[in-house]
Amino acid sequence: MWQRLTEGVRIESIGTETNLPDPLGELARCHQCGQCAGVCPSQKHGGIKPADTMVKLHLSLLQPNAPELWLCAMCNSCTERCQLGVSPSDRIQEMRGRATLAGHCPKSFQEEAKLFMRTGLAFPNSGLTKKLRKELDLDELASDAQTLNELAALVKATTLGRVPLER
Amino acid sequence: MSDSYYLFKGCLIPTRVPNLEKASLIVLDAMGVDHRPLPGATCCVEPIGLRSMAADTWLVTVARMLAIAETEGRDVLTLCNGCYLSFQEACHALQDPALLEKVNLVLSSLGREYRGGVKVRHLLDLAHEKGEEGVKSHVRRDLSAFKVAPHSGCHVLRPSKAGLRERAYAPRMLGDVARWLGSTVVSEEGWPECCGGGVASIDDGVSTGMLEDVCSVYRRSGATCILTPCPFCFSQFDLRQKGGLPVLHLSELMALAFGATPEEIGLRYHRTKLGPISGSP
Repeated sequence: MWQRLTEGVRIESIGTETNLPDPLGELARCHQCGQCAGVCPSQKHGGIKPADTMVKLHLSLLQPNAPELWLCAMCNSCTERCQLGVSPSDRIQEMRGRATLAGHCPKSFQEEAKLFMRTGLAFPNSGLTKKLRKELDLDELASDAQTLNELAALVKATTLGRVPLER
Repeated sequence: MSDSYYLFKGCLIPTRVPNLEKASLIVLDAMGVDHRPLPGATCCVEPIGLRSMAADTWLVTVARMLAIAETEGRDVLTLCNGCYLSFQEACHALQDPALLEKVNLVLSSLGREYRGGVKVRHLLDLAHEKGEEGVKSHVRRDLSAFKVAPHSGCHVLRPSKAGLRERAYAPRMLGDVARWLGSTVVSEEGWPECCGGGVASIDDGVSTGMLEDVCSVYRRSGATCILTPCPFCFSQFDLRQKGGLPVLHLSELMALAFGATPEEIGLRYHRTKLGPISGSP
């Protein structure tokens, strides 16, 4: 497997900007037993391959624009299954963060982020929402100005405030 | 742990499936749970997309809401697996004093501080904690015709390192509560499967493949409906499933058992209708 994954890859690419910090030593600890691959529901359908992803991360071969990063459903099966205490889903999440800052976040998540920053919610308070809530005798959804101001301050102070978002 | 809660409704339930909010309010009132809406609530920065984009934004956003809850001495109650994990992982992470200090530095610009004293609950573990007698004492309707396949959903049980209340293998809470409510449980979860909702907006083929894997098992079990405590799984089953097996959110099964009518809790809004067993067409 090692040979197959590294085939055609120049050795100089190791240790480049795709290098992921590994304070817990997880990338080195993964010994490619494949338990994560066995429980990953996405891999079965042509999605992400967590064991391959781990070895690519260890060798700094995973590019931030790799589409498979976003084919993880974040079900955390891989992390739960790993008998060595490695957390592939956490590492995938970190790589998604780096991909996002490099401008490679899928459009649907970008739209969600914009809505969150504008309204405080991740789903729109649509006309249908208002109709359903009225029919069910529920109060109208409203976000107050103070909440939105506080959220804006938090976004500005953290990474989401620096994420490049398409118009 | 306090017995009074700030109810955190999340985003998906109040906007897309408010019928689940209605059912939840009926259930909490019936059980005499002291609850009121969490003031200043925003999205929990859900653990699939938004949190991946900016993990620090997730942590301070949840910490702000925990700080609000703490001032009133109330714990946070969620109705959604995503919200539960988002809050629970933040609570867990903020047990680290160094991280808490960093987060509080950001919160101080809002005049807020979190001291680490809030617990987060899910309707599932709240109901389970009531125990068999506690749940049965509220039952007003015979639900034995409901043959349910419990589907816990990933984020109420994984990753276990976040200190979640349900166990990651062979979860028992949802099946227990379903039995106590009087419904017939026809399948058991071993290694809990994912509904595929997390990739629904990214790749239809992968998401549908995952959905069909899990639904085909439930169909073979002879279930008349799937039961889940998660509104994301609920929506995936109700809107995207090809096989037509109806789904109920935990709050709906509880509300029906406690005597609410199908009309009252808006069962008519389900895309995949329950039919005669629910008592509504």
